Amino acid sequence: MPASAGSRKRGRLRSKLGVPDPLRRRWRAVPAPLRRPVLPVLVLVLAVLYPYYRGHLFKIPVLGTFPAMNTAVIMTVFAMMAVGLNIVVGYAGLLDLGYVAFYAMGAYTAAWFASPQFAAHNFTFGAVGVSPGVPGFHVSIWLLLILAGVFTAFVGVLIGLPTLRLRGDYLAIVTLGFGEIMPQIAKNGDNLFGTGFNLTGGPQGITPIDPPGFGSWIHRHVNALPDNYIAATNFDKLFFWTGLGLLLITVFCAVRLRDSRLGRAWVAIREDEIAAAAMGVPLMRTKTWAYATGAFFGGVAGCFYASYKTATFPDDFFFNISVFILCMVILGGMGNVWGVIVGACFLAYLDTEGIGNIGGWINEHFSGDSPKWAHVWASPIDIAKYSFGIYGMIILIVMLFRPQGLIPSARRQREFEEGVHDEPLYDASA
Amino acid sequence: MRKRLLIGVVAAVAGTLALVAGSYASGEKSARPSARGVLPAGSCAPVYYGPRYGQGRGGPKYIIASDLPMQGANRPQTTQMVAAIKYILAGRKFKAGKYTIGYQACDDSTAETGKWNSAKCTDNGRSYADDRSVIGVIGTFNSGCAKLIIPILNRAPGGAVGMVSPSNTGVGLTVSGLGANPGEPDIYYPTHKRNYIRVVTRDDIQGPAGALLAKSLKIKKVFILEDKEVYGHGVSTTFETAAKKLGLTVTGREAWDPKASSYEPLATRIKQAGANGVYLGGIICNNGTKLVKDLRSVLGTGVKIIGPDGWTPFSSLISGAGSAAQGMYVTVPGAPPESLKGAGAKFVKAFKKTQGGKSLASYVAYAAQSAVVLLDAIKRSNGSRSSVTAQLFKTNVKNGIVGSFKIDKNGDTNLAGITAYIIKGNDGKAIKAFYPTKKLTGR
Amino acid sequence: MVAEARRPPFTWLSGRSLPSVVPLIGLLLVLLVLVWLGINLYKTPADFFTVLLFGLTNGAVYGLIALGYTLVYGILELINFAHGDVFMMGGMITATFVTSVFSLHDYPSATSLWPAVLVTLAVAMAGCALLNATVERIAYRPLRHAPRLAPLLTAIAMSFIIQNIGLAWKGPAYVSTPPVLSRGTIFSLGGVTYTWNKLIVLLITVPVLLGLVWLVQRTRQGKAMRAAAQDRDAAAMMGINVNRTISFTFLIAGALAGAAGLLYVLYFTNIRFDSGFQIGLIAFTAAVLGGIGNLTGAVLGAVLIGLIQAFNEGLSWHAPGSSWTQSIVFSILILILVFRPEGLLGEQTPEGA
Repeated sequence: MPASAGSRKRGRLRSKLGVPDPLRRRWRAVPAPLRRPVLPVLVLVLAVLYPYYRGHLFKIPVLGTFPAMNTAVIMTVFAMMAVGLNIVVGYAGLLDLGYVAFYAMGAYTAAWFASPQFAAHNFTFGAVGVSPGVPGFHVSIWLLLILAGVFTAFVGVLIGLPTLRLRGDYLAIVTLGFGEIMPQIAKNGDNLFGTGFNLTGGPQGITPIDPPGFGSWIHRHVNALPDNYIAATNFDKLFFWTGLGLLLITVFCAVRLRDSRLGRAWVAIREDEIAAAAMGVPLMRTKTWAYATGAFFGGVAGCFYASYKTATFPDDFFFNISVFILCMVILGGMGNVWGVIVGACFLAYLDTEGIGNIGGWINEHFSGDSPKWAHVWASPIDIAKYSFGIYGMIILIVMLFRPQGLIPSARRQREFEEGVHDEPLYDASA
Repeated sequence: MRKRLLIGVVAAVAGTLALVAGSYASGEKSARPSARGVLPAGSCAPVYYGPRYGQGRGGPKYIIASDLPMQGANRPQTTQMVAAIKYILAGRKFKAGKYTIGYQACDDSTAETGKWNSAKCTDNGRSYADDRSVIGVIGTFNSGCAKLIIPILNRAPGGAVGMVSPSNTGVGLTVSGLGANPGEPDIYYPTHKRNYIRVVTRDDIQGPAGALLAKSLKIKKVFILEDKEVYGHGVSTTFETAAKKLGLTVTGREAWDPKASSYEPLATRIKQAGANGVYLGGIICNNGTKLVKDLRSVLGTGVKIIGPDGWTPFSSLISGAGSAAQGMYVTVPGAPPESLKGAGAKFVKAFKKTQGGKSLASYVAYAAQSAVVLLDAIKRSNGSRSSVTAQLFKTNVKNGIVGSFKIDKNGDTNLAGITAYIIKGNDGKAIKAFYPTKKLTGR
Repeated sequence: MVAEARRPPFTWLSGRSLPSVVPLIGLLLVLLVLVWLGINLYKTPADFFTVLLFGLTNGAVYGLIALGYTLVYGILELINFAHGDVFMMGGMITATFVTSVFSLHDYPSATSLWPAVLVTLAVAMAGCALLNATVERIAYRPLRHAPRLAPLLTAIAMSFIIQNIGLAWKGPAYVSTPPVLSRGTIFSLGGVTYTWNKLIVLLITVPVLLGLVWLVQRTRQGKAMRAAAQDRDAAAMMGINVNRTISFTFLIAGALAGAAGLLYVLYFTNIRFDSGFQIGLIAFTAAVLGGIGNLTGAVLGAVLIGLIQAFNEGLSWHAPGSSWTQSIVFSILILILVFRPEGLLGEQTPEGA
């Protein structure tokens, strides 16, 4: 489809929306620097105030109530990871099927330095909410968020150095391999190579992990900042706002990076690697940066999530999570931060609450409980069981009909419509 | 373009049809009544209470919740456990003393792994803590999940929420020392007040009981296989320690990979180690039946295989492993549903009728006993969370479903009997009960 | 395919010296493994050969699956993630036929076994061939001009969808079948016994490989496949119906997956809805190890992977043990992709140039 057809279609769509012309014209007249941030700021305000008006919202048909606070926290965590993965997949065009490894690394960083895991040592630095007499390293979660990011980025570089010169599907497979090895190391890490050294707690995982908090001194002076999150009565709100703050930082970095020299180099590599190299873009360094940046945010998100969950287990990091995050990026629109956030929030909600609610609704109306349908659909079906089949369906349908995603980046859309200088799968004439 | 659309629509429709048709074929039934509950509908079934289910009118004053993995290989067992709790509650006309009680069955597993999931456990725990109508929790099924929920409920606003577990055997949940990790169990109780009891015996009793069984079977050299999960790891460790104390030689300890396609090489290694007994610390849903088949085919019938209660229900073991399961030994805490006496026998007989006469999984009686213990504690309480929790520790059951027992200050039961079974024909035959001494358990 | 002018790897790291070190490290690793095997052989010869036979047989089963991957990759350069799951469906069909349709019991007589096996084989091969061709039609063909990542993503999507169909059909537990292949001894030498069920696996895998090689090398259709693999545009100009050739390739690969599913269930006697994904990854590793696109290489790689797995789990002198098997297999995959992407028998591919 030529590019002009796409813009024509969009024009038609816009005229259908029914915004009166004079209003639109006046809105256009507002200078762009003022106009552009309106929508993001509005969304941000709505998000920050969400805990207050959540209880007063209407019920969505089929889906039921709006996401609970627990779900909202998970949504921010996955949005963070999706934005991170978007840097690798969306910006630089490198398919990473092992993103879960970075998430795991971040979670274990939190677990090592903020739990009783290394009971032989006793070291406390700014940690809160640690019961007296509990041994082990206890470093403030705020510091660990940064440490986890840096450590994960470092591992990302280590993995990236030998593998990033591979292209496309081979890279995907190698990252998949790392994604499979990492949980196994976590699982066998309670007695690493028979040395008796307990690194990861093995199948028992590491628990409990300290909560974030501001300490009693700050709490005494600024009452709104709690001593430690878990002891506070509104801990879910606190975690939600913290997650939102982290997400905000992530988005800020992602957007700034996209518009930077490095970001343009990523796009250049994605569109035509050979041309980019010919133009003097250092391929390996640029790719490694993409990998490290993506890994950084995965690590931060993992660390925060581990602290929220108060534990980390090797079973949390299996391959499907990587695909799940990838699905968010694809659904939202590869390369577009806003689209990716929408995709992440939607899928994270679907996974934690939505599918269960839909299943409940379907069974309520069509299964044996409702006499009208009893003869057709005798036994209720468990929709949640098929969640990954549903995600597969989402990937398939999006790739076939709207490969640019729900909210595409303009540039990505053109690539999908006009093709890129990448070898297509097979180019036979039909 | 249109053609592409057509293909996609056809694909989507075909896929959906296949899923629906498939779920018909598998014939699984999930009991999900239609009314929406108080706890999140995503993981909890609606409230079991009210006119629709017989007794009671309006809403219940309090909710009790159960936290079990309702998906995956445990599903047959956990659905029976939920049914047993409902049976007990309905039998008491949804009342505990002067309080009306409703019940919600919550799920801590995800379908894609078919096992408990840490995120789900934490989420559930927070929901219970937040919802002031939740007065007590029956669960969890898995010790790993309990580690997450106990501290959350311990710090719950409005007082610690009491938990009664029908099946957690992990040592560190209640006591320190052998089999527990450093810092356990205090790290789970940040308020320093206990809120967790269990009606089932710990792993540090079951492991040694397995060792006693091995000794009584004249096993000299034993090889230990574990599935690298919380439960399998714990029970293997306590078995190993006790076996060494009893003078058995442990010729090796290895993990089995649930995803492996064959265990014959592993069995060769055991054969080479010269073991005449193998202890399988793990659960049957980790490809256990294939493991038993391959061990038998390489080691022959001369080598004795012992497993803990993770190898129940016997029906799955026998149907899955076929003739290879014959002659395998399984230890189960307490008495099996079929050989319960007194109140237990009465319960089993009556409850079995509601289940269409199907044989009961091994933890069903414990689930029912947990419900009784919790309801009795609520009855004795003043209606606050902390008073229910305090009452749980004063539990003293006489002629209960699983026998007469007391709960000590750690929250453990004093029922220490472990029954050993041998698989014969289509069922397990109880051969002997073991009572490991303090010398073996280290406590 | 365009030959790519690209700078040699690692130049920005340490100049040109590294690539010459790489084969040396690889050689050293292989040597270490050989020494380890030698010591184990010396210490426990009987067990060594028993384990070797196990590994050989397991490898032969993986080989059938690996052939499917390599066939599709050879023509499309696409990793068909759904292949493992098509194989799983073949296994499920077999399990259904063995237990429900023919209700076979432990070690049935030859007269009741072989007709049942042949019927099941036909159904499983036909079913999987159709399924695989449908996957191609739905998920890959519409994306022919899309960037290369697109079909890879739909392949993963199809893999999940087929897994869920298996889950819906058979539930989340392992599906177990009675052992029907005879475990009677063929020969027994110094404590090493070779049984019939192992021989049957080889008796199926080897002819299939030979038949496939014949098909690709000697027949008209095979010539079309090779032409399409080399240059699709030129092949189309020469009057080859590329679409049909690709469909044919998927049909053959699917039939292979069906046969592999049958063999897997008959030999290993159990399967689960997600077995296909796991074993598919192992088979894919095997295909990469042997040189993806190379039929003989796929089987060779599979046998090697089978042996490595078995030695790791079965030998007792300093073997990492079964808790590390997955990691070892995937490490091999990564090492091969990084250091020798063309595999043992493959030709130089642009991916690794």
